[in-house]
Amino acid sequence: MVRLKDRYLLVNIVYADIPPGQKGTVPDLLLYNQPTLGELRPQTILKGIRSQVNALFGDCGSGSVERSLQVKYLSTATSTFILRISRAHYRLVWAALTFMDRLPVKDGRPCIFRVVRVSGTIRKVEEEAIRRAKLLVLAAKDEMAGKASSDALNALFRGGKDSARNLALVTDDHDDAEMGEGEVSDG
Amino acid sequence: MDNHNKQSASGKAAADSKKRKEAPLNQNQQGKESRPPARPQKRVKFQDARNIRSQPSDAALDDGKLDLQKFLSAREFEIKALETSMRKCKSANATRVFQQVPREMRRRTASHNAKRVPKRLRDRAKREMMEDNTPTVEARKRRPRTTRARIRAENAKRLEKLAARKRKRALQNEAGGENRDEPGKTTIQTRAPRPKIRRDTLNEPPKPKSKFKKRQINKTWLPTHLWHAKRATMTESTKPLWRFAIPLTPTQKCYRPTHRASGQKGTVFWDTSYMSTVRLYGAAGGIEQVLKALGLVQESLWGNRGRKWRSGTRTWSGMVSRQQRNSRRDIGPATILWNPTPTVETAAPESNTTELKKTQRQILIRTHPSCFLELFDELVKLAKLHTPQVHVEDLRFEIGSIELTGPGSTETLLAVLQPYYTEERHGQVFSSLVGVTNPASLPKDAVLGFSIKDPRLSYPPKRVDTASKVSDSALLDTLTQWPVEEQVKPYGLFDRDVRFKASSLPPQKSINRRKGASTPGQEMQVTAADPPIPVIAFTSRPAAGGQAQGTWTLLAPWKCILPIWYSIVHYPLSTGGNPRLGGLNEQRQIAFEQGTPWFPGDFLGTNAGVVWEMEQRAQRKKAWDRRPRGKRIEWASLDLGAGRKGEIGDGLACDFEHLLGLPTDHLPNSCEDQSTSDVDPNAMDLHPGEEAEAAAKLGKVHKNTVPSLTTVEQMKKTEFQALISSVNSGRPPPRSIISVNITFVTRGVANACARIYRLPSQPSATTAVPSSETEVPATDPVAAGMGSLPADLRDQWLQKIPGNKSGSRSTKVTTAHAAPHMSRDVGQGTRKQLMAKSLLSGDPLPYPRPTANQTDIGGGHPLCPGEEDLIGFVTAGAYSLSEGKGTAVGAISAEKAFDTVKESGPKEGRLCIVRNAGENVGWLARWELV
Repeated sequence: MVRLKDRYLLVNIVYADIPPGQKGTVPDLLLYNQPTLGELRPQTILKGIRSQVNALFGDCGSGSVERSLQVKYLSTATSTFILRISRAHYRLVWAALTFMDRLPVKDGRPCIFRVVRVSGTIRKVEEEAIRRAKLLVLAAKDEMAGKASSDALNALFRGGKDSARNLALVTDDHDDAEMGEGEVSDG
Repeated sequence: MDNHNKQSASGKAAADSKKRKEAPLNQNQQGKESRPPARPQKRVKFQDARNIRSQPSDAALDDGKLDLQKFLSAREFEIKALETSMRKCKSANATRVFQQVPREMRRRTASHNAKRVPKRLRDRAKREMMEDNTPTVEARKRRPRTTRARIRAENAKRLEKLAARKRKRALQNEAGGENRDEPGKTTIQTRAPRPKIRRDTLNEPPKPKSKFKKRQINKTWLPTHLWHAKRATMTESTKPLWRFAIPLTPTQKCYRPTHRASGQKGTVFWDTSYMSTVRLYGAAGGIEQVLKALGLVQESLWGNRGRKWRSGTRTWSGMVSRQQRNSRRDIGPATILWNPTPTVETAAPESNTTELKKTQRQILIRTHPSCFLELFDELVKLAKLHTPQVHVEDLRFEIGSIELTGPGSTETLLAVLQPYYTEERHGQVFSSLVGVTNPASLPKDAVLGFSIKDPRLSYPPKRVDTASKVSDSALLDTLTQWPVEEQVKPYGLFDRDVRFKASSLPPQKSINRRKGASTPGQEMQVTAADPPIPVIAFTSRPAAGGQAQGTWTLLAPWKCILPIWYSIVHYPLSTGGNPRLGGLNEQRQIAFEQGTPWFPGDFLGTNAGVVWEMEQRAQRKKAWDRRPRGKRIEWASLDLGAGRKGEIGDGLACDFEHLLGLPTDHLPNSCEDQSTSDVDPNAMDLHPGEEAEAAAKLGKVHKNTVPSLTTVEQMKKTEFQALISSVNSGRPPPRSIISVNITFVTRGVANACARIYRLPSQPSATTAVPSSETEVPATDPVAAGMGSLPADLRDQWLQKIPGNKSGSRSTKVTTAHAAPHMSRDVGQGTRKQLMAKSLLSGDPLPYPRPTANQTDIGGGHPLCPGEEDLIGFVTAGAYSLSEGKGTAVGAISAEKAFDTVKESGPKEGRLCIVRNAGENVGWLARWELV
């Protein structure tokens, strides 16, 4: 049977600067996982990615991405979104995300789009999002308790045990199937 | 609302095209909540399920400032949202109920008929159909489209009226009858007529119910026909096999499950009621003479070793044959079983042999329907020769049978067959067989004859509890000693009255009534209304021996097969699952996997086998004709290599006519042996008068033509082995064949009709030169174009045996011309020198290059030997799941096989090359006698 094969990307938006209204120092945890302000809507994200793909890969690239690219979930409160893209072209989108350095809105803030998980089913992506959110909750609780460096946060950013796998992923670039199911720990 | 939906939908459907409509909106629904139309509603449902809720960014900020508490709550919200999304997605599954049913429970058009899914899923199916607005059609209300359907519908309507009138009249009669006086009741009771069996003539098929009569005009149904017709592919209604409607294969895919059930786990069972049974009765001496005339002349049968067989506790299975002018011709396989005499008789003094010869004995001969008529005629002819006369009784529609094979077969039979009398010796022995997992572990050809209870009394069958099993050592004792000879009684199945009594079982209705009256869960008691059912169960081992599974054969009265069948079908095996249904194809498959030839397909030396082969040829021809010209094998243009064109003989046949030099069958042969004129398949059991009629009716033209293949004789394994081992120069007769089992040495799978070659003979020493030198000289390409085969072809083939290093002379033939591979650091000068040397040295490339398939096939694979090395054909071949590689069953010319074995020894002489018809690649294989 013919089956449409997709990939789902879990993307985090990471900020490094203090938001405009904020004064004084903020904990790292809050700093990196800020909510996304302003008018970020699924359409704007798609538009930004398309233009970036067009810039990087030309008309061919943007044409192949055009049809299947879709935002399945966008939460500005947590700066997380899930993209769906056909399996053949997900690396174009990933590359475009890597090259995007600010929000695709007017006067967008500088940020990093960090792909943290690629999967063939949305379910696994959701599970990963839940896992990360849980780790962040733990980290926030540690933060509130006053612990300086939290294990949870380290686990989140370093990738812990998955770092070796991540390395393998990068080297094993030509293999689609292998790559699809990987987790990416640093953006 | 349901009704409303349906009505308006159908109204709309009539008006518009045939496409499925959106479910209509119902505006005027009184007192019921209105709901959106079904399909958009469903889409909304799916969209809703897939939507993941999210918060705006403000939720994570405290007055526009970053805050830990808000951060936390935002994450918690996200986790919850994602979890609910996952849950909702799962419940809003896109599959429908009928897709979730296990494969064997799937039914056609279950998507449109909720009644075709299991009961527990029916409500959901109904709901889904409603939501999906699935159009439903009630067969009863469908408007007939064809003329035939219209006539049938009108007929049905008329019959309905008639039935109503009849019912009404019956009611009136009853009402009137109540008013009448009681004494008017008749007291005469009549018994059901006992079927007539005339001696020395053929038996009539049972009279079908008038409802089914028309469908059984030129065939007979098996007792389980109605059950089978729903679950198996039957023979075509106009082309019955051996005048029976026989299940060919189950509707479900079952190749591998059958393999497993027959060898590893479970059981496969068949209704083999089509097998023919003949009873022979008369003086023991006369019967002995008849049997000897049928070819049962082995000393072991009539001496002391055959005592058990003659006393009726063992069967004999083998080929029976008849005398032709000066040779014997096989009829077919038969199983012969004596009826035991009462113990008093056997105790009579052995010395009085003449007395013994005069005692009245009976035997059953069970044979295949394809050779039945031949055997029956022969029996009648032989029986008449003896005084006092021996008589023959045709019990074809009197005795039916069921066969079971596989590890669970004994268990299944134990659950279904419950002895009627506890004191019967054979019944006791049978009941003690709990724990036997292979029928072949019983003594060879063991027979058990006893009476059983009606299996419907203990329906549904319960799993045999292994707790009732006696100890292993006791079972082993039973199996080794096999105490069945004491107090052996004549088997009930031989007795016409006993069979008849068993056939008049109480109807299912009364069984149900009794079951309803008794306490639930209590075993039903046997009453006087339940007659004992006489059965005979015997085992047979596969000819191959070894660890292969044996087979149980259960003989029972024809009319008792169905209740036994139902119980077997529903027996819950201890290893899980139920017994698996098998058809004719499965029977052949199992025989093939055990490496044994299957009757009649693999016995070309019998008339039945010839008929089968002729029919197969016609079928293959028909299938071949149906294919478009570009997609079928063009036999004439097959390139066999070395300039040979065209398939040898007929590509759609096991062409023994070509191999043995028999005349081909396009013209009627009048000079054939008259005794072989009865091989027409459709003349099976018609009386001579009817024969011509039926032939005319079926449009058979080849009535008087006898295939020349019938002059081919089958040679027995033992005869051939004796010839091989003897020093005298006796040779097998020229037109004889032997059955072989073929196993491929390395690769390859054979199909039916594949050609079997022997290894090409070694050329004499003067001409033996490696093929590289016999290749076409550059100057004279044309002369060698129609080249002979390479001289070292035999070596090339022998080299294909793994681990065989001999004859490696020609290994370099193909690589000699390739440029030598040089390492990179070789200098330019050296390269040039080497190249010049290679150019100047001998061994020039032939010009023009030899055409494809000239010296080998596809670069390196040896060519097939020539036609003079053709020795036989494959009758059945496939990839064998039990062997893990290709195997085949076939027949080879005895004469050529004899020559080959004598010439090149028992090891190398049994190597052969098998090439599928229409292909040019042959594969090395080994044949063994079977």
